[in-house]
Amino acid sequence: MTSRITIDPISRIEGHLRIDAEVDGGRVSKAWASCTMWRGIENILIGRDPREAWLFAQRFCGVCTTVHAIASVRAVEDALKLQIPPNAQYIRNLILIHHALHDHIVHFYHLSALDWIDVMQIPKADPAKTASLAQSLSSWTRNSPQEFKSAQDKVKALAASGQLGIFANGYWGHPAMHLPPEVSLLGFTHYLQALEFQRKSNQIVAILGGKTPHIQNMTVGGVGNAIDLDSLGTLTMDRLTMIRSLVDEVIPFVHEAYFPDVCAIAGMYPEWFDIGRGAGNYLAVPDLPTDSGASSFDLPGGVIFSGDLAVVKKFQTAADPDFRTAVTEDATRAWYKGGTLHPWKGQTVPEYTDFQEDGKYTWVKAPRYSGRPMEVGPLSNILVGYVQGHALTRKWTDLALDRISAVARRKVTVDQLQSTMGRYGARAIRSAMLADLAVKHCELLTNNILGGDVATHNPPQFSKGEIEGVGTHEAPRGTLSHWVVVKDGKLANYQAVVPTTWNASPRDSKGNIGPYEASLMRNPVADPERPLELLRTVHSFDPCMACACHTFDPDGREIATVKVL
Amino acid sequence: MTKVLIAGIGNVLLGDDGAGPFAIKVLESQYDFSDDVELADLGTPDLDLPVHLASADAVILLDSAKFGGEAGSIRLFRKQDILRSAPRARIDAHSPALVESIALARMMGTLPSDLLMIGIQGSRFEPGSPLSRAVRDCIPHIIDFVRRELYRLNIWCEPKASAGAPRVWWDRTENAA
Repeated sequence: MTSRITIDPISRIEGHLRIDAEVDGGRVSKAWASCTMWRGIENILIGRDPREAWLFAQRFCGVCTTVHAIASVRAVEDALKLQIPPNAQYIRNLILIHHALHDHIVHFYHLSALDWIDVMQIPKADPAKTASLAQSLSSWTRNSPQEFKSAQDKVKALAASGQLGIFANGYWGHPAMHLPPEVSLLGFTHYLQALEFQRKSNQIVAILGGKTPHIQNMTVGGVGNAIDLDSLGTLTMDRLTMIRSLVDEVIPFVHEAYFPDVCAIAGMYPEWFDIGRGAGNYLAVPDLPTDSGASSFDLPGGVIFSGDLAVVKKFQTAADPDFRTAVTEDATRAWYKGGTLHPWKGQTVPEYTDFQEDGKYTWVKAPRYSGRPMEVGPLSNILVGYVQGHALTRKWTDLALDRISAVARRKVTVDQLQSTMGRYGARAIRSAMLADLAVKHCELLTNNILGGDVATHNPPQFSKGEIEGVGTHEAPRGTLSHWVVVKDGKLANYQAVVPTTWNASPRDSKGNIGPYEASLMRNPVADPERPLELLRTVHSFDPCMACACHTFDPDGREIATVKVL
Repeated sequence: MTKVLIAGIGNVLLGDDGAGPFAIKVLESQYDFSDDVELADLGTPDLDLPVHLASADAVILLDSAKFGGEAGSIRLFRKQDILRSAPRARIDAHSPALVESIALARMMGTLPSDLLMIGIQGSRFEPGSPLSRAVRDCIPHIIDFVRRELYRLNIWCEPKASAGAPRVWWDRTENAA
């Protein structure tokens, strides 16, 4: 029997991700990813001053604010060939690292852990047994029986009240959920603690950026922070010390709670290392530059094709010459006019049809790299680093695979990271690396200032004529690039190729399916009315359809609909 | 001491979705508040909202809403009204999360004792468009509801002696005016 599942959570004002899948014999045989809102937001920027573009760009998405701000100033700096002072690199890097840690923690605990943890099993757990299990996994200080008991009481109280509140819509009791109650309680307890640590990580962004969610300190040519070790209202030694102490609080949560939790849960669902392999092509740009001219990076970049982990083409610069020329966007199957264009020539002219599975069916264009669909995100970041022998990537990846294999009682390999569970693992590995790098960049900044360098900004100069630039950033969801054309000091074109566009991309003119679509192929579906397995795979990418309206709809309901074909 | 957060929610680049942040700019430019009041344009904070809620004893949210009224009409929602809607299962990270945020804060025990959401029915959400006429015209009524709530909470708020123009930097039509 073939059935058609449509998951379309919000079909009214807001535009969001819609997934359509045909299921045949309990497995997905065809899939379509569709974004239901027009993403023509870049058009707002045309004609504006390139120096203020970042202010608008950071409003593209309500949660990934800083990443768009930084990609935007980098794009204009690239067009002007403008270097920024070392302090500006380090301040930006610290903002990027802590935004990413915040984002990865929220993704695992608050957006996807409950795809794996059955909350309704939590009341059955023994808090003392949970504590001894947790203590065997890590030295995290908040793994006491009391801590687990108090988290369990919160779930019991909700269950007793008959109003599940935040948990009202979960797929509880689904046959694909099979964690022991103690592991569910462990994960859920850290879910509660995670709120505190994602907040601390965000506080670092606020101290450096002036405010969150919208930072105030970005500027083309550097950052707006004045550094004066003695004066108030600037970046002082006191504030640097405050940042360092917050960093020292966040790191243990990442290394001793998040990382071991993911390894343990992944090890208990080893079958998910064989499900959800995507496009098999991986793209990551280098990031966290360690010098003014961005000639070396703490996160490596490159491309891998066809799942072949023997070969990586390494990127030497933030916008490698190959990257500049290889990226195109194909509008054949998206609701836009035009064929395949380079982002500097890119157009955003809508041409809406209905959802036509053999024609146009989404508001997302299909970005391609040398004509190939590419997966972006932590998995790409980790694979590209691992294959080129990057030491920090290898250290944490090998540790994760050892731990997962020990729990699973079978060998889980780097190759198997190309899977739904591999994406969760890669995000935790990347977070562990970022926690190490947080300390490093704190020290780079402090030492550079103590060495007497207080420069934070090189002023930009615009002249007559046309220039082009690309700003890249390896964001929490993967490679982000902003492409600008500046003519006589004004923006003549602006295109943002965002991570979710790469991953949620539709079919292209050659019929190649996008990474989400590829990852859903052959996914098991036990119960079409409750397609938990599809959500697991889609959530593994951490989708963000970005730029969405937020309008509160008191009657809104999520719905998965199923139709027998 | 009651700490009050007045927060505008919505994407300022998407027409009427930015009604809340717009009203915050008007409040900032035209009124003085007691030191316990924080005004914030939170954009679309999604699941970061509980963090902001946790720092306040009372919260007034200004957000665009869809309740089927005419554009520019206003409806008030208290905690219970919002919690009555079940949170939705989410496919992506950043779907609107007001209900989830409030439900999460309640479970964590960090939900402020007073919470009022002033919902504004919008009509135009195209990227880059200014507020629709109807929503622009309802801003004084929103301000009025904010002031009444502050009065109820016994929090000081007065018109500024010399009010400036609101600094709505994202809106070309406002800047021209």
